[in-house]
Amino acid sequence: MLLQIDHLTKIYRNGTRANDDVSLAVDAGEVFGLLGPNGAGKTTLVGQVLGSLVPSSGTLTIEGVDVVARPSYARAACSYQPQTSVPIDGLTPREAIEIAGRIRGGDRETVRRRGAGLIEALDLGEWASKLVPLSGGVARLVAFCMAAVVPGRIVVLDEPTNDVDPLRRKLLWELVRALADGGSAVLLVTHNVLEAERCVDRLAILGSGRVLASGTAASLKTPLGGMLRLQLVLEPGASMPEHPTFLRQHSVAGRRVVGEMVAGDASSAIAWATGLRERRVVEEFSIGPATLEDVYVKEMAEAR
Amino acid sequence: MSVALRSYGLLFRWQLLRMRRQIPLLVVIQLALALGVVYGLAFLLPNIDSRSALFLATGAPTLTLLLLGLTAVPQEVSQAKLSGRQAYLETFPVPRLAGPAAEVSFWLVVQLPGTFLALLVAAARFDFALRPNAAVVPAFVLVALCGATLGYAIAMVARPETAQQIASFISIGILLFSPINFPIDRLPGFLAAIHRVLPITYMADLTRWSLTGHAEENVALAFAVVLAWCAAGIAISWRVAVRRG
Repeated sequence: MLLQIDHLTKIYRNGTRANDDVSLAVDAGEVFGLLGPNGAGKTTLVGQVLGSLVPSSGTLTIEGVDVVARPSYARAACSYQPQTSVPIDGLTPREAIEIAGRIRGGDRETVRRRGAGLIEALDLGEWASKLVPLSGGVARLVAFCMAAVVPGRIVVLDEPTNDVDPLRRKLLWELVRALADGGSAVLLVTHNVLEAERCVDRLAILGSGRVLASGTAASLKTPLGGMLRLQLVLEPGASMPEHPTFLRQHSVAGRRVVGEMVAGDASSAIAWATGLRERRVVEEFSIGPATLEDVYVKEMAEAR
Repeated sequence: MSVALRSYGLLFRWQLLRMRRQIPLLVVIQLALALGVVYGLAFLLPNIDSRSALFLATGAPTLTLLLLGLTAVPQEVSQAKLSGRQAYLETFPVPRLAGPAAEVSFWLVVQLPGTFLALLVAAARFDFALRPNAAVVPAFVLVALCGATLGYAIAMVARPETAQQIASFISIGILLFSPINFPIDRLPGFLAAIHRVLPITYMADLTRWSLTGHAEENVALAFAVVLAWCAAGIAISWRVAVRRG
């Protein structure tokens, strides 16, 4: 494995156990998702992969090299897009992308060509050569380009789609996939479970510093196999009707109600929901297979 | 080209690009400071004898070098820590001291015009000839480097808000209580004793000697003390730069 993490624990000086016996492995050509709520230990884990933080115990190797002992190897192997915006004040996006690529060892011509390609692929041409303050989304895309212009053997992306508009977000996921197809291992940190499901090959769900679940999206959904997801959007002002017995669990967020049921109850559920819509209690509804979000919510609930 | 040199060159270029719109103003401030030190401080002395003139004239470049290194550098580095620029740069595959070296050398370049102008104006104002010797370049580089590396070390060790306050405190000490523009024998005993340990008076001695040949103190001692402080600044910066959480 390109990145191998075994029994990694990180305890800060104030006693906070940010990572607790974390083990995972990521191979070249793979997009690996790291999911979890705020405070789950994702950024701490990334800090150790990048060689900025020292684990309290456990091992961390990149291409078999112990990067705890050799952090410079980690810095050479990893290109990184941080969660916070990259301060590139005073530089045009094109200059920032090119200089990041040159510092990562790229030659002038390759960096220029790759940088131009990324700018075009993400439709950033209108800002590329301007010295203007960038919106949050554009700044994040530029930060992505700085990590991708000369990609490391591991590309670490921390919340790359935050503040990015839906169209460019789609383009960005294509480029993330292309990075993996180009031979890099992509470590993708995100809160966005639904988007991650479409992009990652494998993932780990972190909670309170521990790996709660890991595997492919399909394998994680197996325990929910045969379960269907019913989603209702209530009419404005309508209250949640008494839920039928086949709806095993449900959660309400604003006007959105999500519940789960076994596949055999699908026809009853459709009839029930159709009735609600005719009575103008429900604006719309949908039924589909369980998603990674359902797995995520279930794991978080169990962890609590 | 070695990795270290290439990294340094690219980080220096980044610094130049980042600051390009501010460079004219920075240079003007340095020029104004240099003129102020030569002309402004002279107003404090109604009768300037040749020794006072010598100290005022040769103290001007030392002051501009020091104020930049010990105040502008820590303020800039503190800002980089607050904005996240420092942490981001540390994730790049560059030698740990390449970033500090680029930062420090940028500020050295920025203050060059002010330093030269201070010298020329001082020579004209006090009507004496400069007689720089062969050590003038190494002496100036050492003085500038010492100030900037110590400024960098302060910013790396202290919290950003504290570093900015320390920088302000140091600038007052340098401007008002340091024997740069006047001889050390004018200071009260305890301040003179402090300045026997600090590098400031030795820096002033070095630049004065390299520009005029006039030495108040042992030049070798001055070189040694400034070199030692410079090494300490680099060592502290290195220690902090390789430290991991």
